[in-house]
Amino acid sequence: MTVAATWRPPAVGAPILVVRDLRKRYGSLQAVDGVSFEVRENEIFGILGPNGAGKTTTLEMIEGMRPIDTGTATVDGVDVTRDPRGVKARIGIQLQASAFFDELTLTELLELFGHLYNRQVDAARLLADVELTDKAGSQVRTLSGGQKQRFSIAAALVNEPRVLFLDEPSTGLDPQARRHLWGLIRGIRARGHTVVLTTHYMEEAEELCDRVAIMDRGRIVALDTPQGLIDALLASGFRKARVERLANLEDVFIDLTGHELREEE
Amino acid sequence: MRRRLQLFWVLFVASLKMFVRNRLAVFFSLFLPLVIMLIFGVLNFEGTSTVVVGVVDEAENPASLALLQAMENVDTFRFEPGDRPAQMAALENGERDMVVVIPAGWGTDAAARLTAFTPAGSQQEARLGTLILTAVVAEVLVAGGGGPAGPLVQVEQVNALNLGYIDFLVPGILGLTIMQLGLFGVAFSFVQLKRTGALRRLFATPTAPGYFLGAQIASRLVLGLAQIGILLGIGLLFGLHLVGSLALLLGVALLGAVIFLGMGFAIAGWAKNEDQAAPVANIISLPMMFLSGTFFPREAMPSFLQGVTEYMPLTFLNHALRDIANEGAGVVELAPDLLGMAVWAVISFVVAVRLFSWE
Repeated sequence: MTVAATWRPPAVGAPILVVRDLRKRYGSLQAVDGVSFEVRENEIFGILGPNGAGKTTTLEMIEGMRPIDTGTATVDGVDVTRDPRGVKARIGIQLQASAFFDELTLTELLELFGHLYNRQVDAARLLADVELTDKAGSQVRTLSGGQKQRFSIAAALVNEPRVLFLDEPSTGLDPQARRHLWGLIRGIRARGHTVVLTTHYMEEAEELCDRVAIMDRGRIVALDTPQGLIDALLASGFRKARVERLANLEDVFIDLTGHELREEE
Repeated sequence: MRRRLQLFWVLFVASLKMFVRNRLAVFFSLFLPLVIMLIFGVLNFEGTSTVVVGVVDEAENPASLALLQAMENVDTFRFEPGDRPAQMAALENGERDMVVVIPAGWGTDAAARLTAFTPAGSQQEARLGTLILTAVVAEVLVAGGGGPAGPLVQVEQVNALNLGYIDFLVPGILGLTIMQLGLFGVAFSFVQLKRTGALRRLFATPTAPGYFLGAQIASRLVLGLAQIGILLGIGLLFGLHLVGSLALLLGVALLGAVIFLGMGFAIAGWAKNEDQAAPVANIISLPMMFLSGTFFPREAMPSFLQGVTEYMPLTFLNHALRDIANEGAGVVELAPDLLGMAVWAVISFVVAVRLFSWE
């Protein structure tokens, strides 16, 4: 898979993830307050929002990791409240990159996860897909941040998921590793998976996502293509105080240090 | 069914691998008890103990009374008076180092001679006891002006368990190992899995988390059994007497493991990270390690401590293991210990279920 996977126009598949009026309350806090959206097959869908906006809680309810107060979420036609295991079998979840058993090697972990999904796993191919072939016999704790992130994605792909959920996949990565990860995610989509991700990086959302939902205080406040959202803002009369430059500091950084992936440690 | 068994097996093997590759866990739960046993075994505390002498006074005359008083003045002796059958039985169990019989007419009848029964292949207490006894007898007889012709004390060897410190130590170390494996082997690895999110990652798969929990418990039990085998083997090299049933010993060890695994899961359920788990595990394990009769008899402690420590889970476990290994005790003799352990098993299981959480 190459880093510079080609950009594709927004996918127009049938809805594969349907969320209707999802709500979750913790004590006096309405963490998720009536969230509805659909993700189409083969789409890269982003959920943006400040910390505490309810992104993670929303994802966890959809993934069957947290009980739903009211509302429904169906993945590939399976209702998560009725059949959480059925949903878990159809999705891939990437959690914190450290969420693996330290004492097992990457190959052992992937094979173990294969058993947990009742599937035969080609660990070597999964590792090759995320460019970790030479780390097959290593333990997770010896990997760099970017390598851990890539491994956690490989582990989320063990069951050939219909929908892959990535929670802040590029947090803590340097610009080179982040760009590399974007290429990886585009490649996963190119193989037919649907991707739902959360991020704090607007540039990442703009670069990767076909459509984004912006959440605040437990609600979706906007949902469109990145360009559509920008156009709507400009149409409302918004202008930046400073005229947009043709390049930003990150462009300078990448120009000086190159696209080449660095592995720390 | 086949798929379930296979899944369990895969998780069990993974759990074993994870434990064996975790150096810290291996050190604290497996290696440490071994080192402690070797240290205490080499130091060998039996040289410092007193000589336990059973006395059967069949003469009950002024001469025998004088002898008893003279023997009581010897600091090295601890007296256990009683009738002959009881004393001989105690000697065979290894509860006496020596039994002295004062025959009827001793001190007046020149043919009446003291008999000292000592275990065959007698240990140093018995030899020391015979020497001191002879000296005391000579003194009493000279003062009383008389005595038998020939040797003052006739030594007779009987077939008896020649229990040494190793016989006390090994069952205690077994108990200690079971406690460490449950408290540290479980608490630390589970808290780590919780903190890193590995447990949540498991929960994200369609496999019920109970499989992993079961595999973890099974792996700890198997490791515990292996460790017991190793410790018993080393104990036998050091001259351990294993009198009782090995199956019963393992059964009691298993019941003990249930108690401490429950405590380990309770700590792992409550603690958010290793820094919270460590002090709690130590507060539970350290007092028991030293007060539950692991290295030294509880009888050597001040009486208020004996009262406090009587109901500790490790006390029951150590006592039961020791009675099986040293005396060949059966289920009936062990009933009080088994009852105490069962109560603790229920308590720790209930607490573990209440405190345990995956996140």
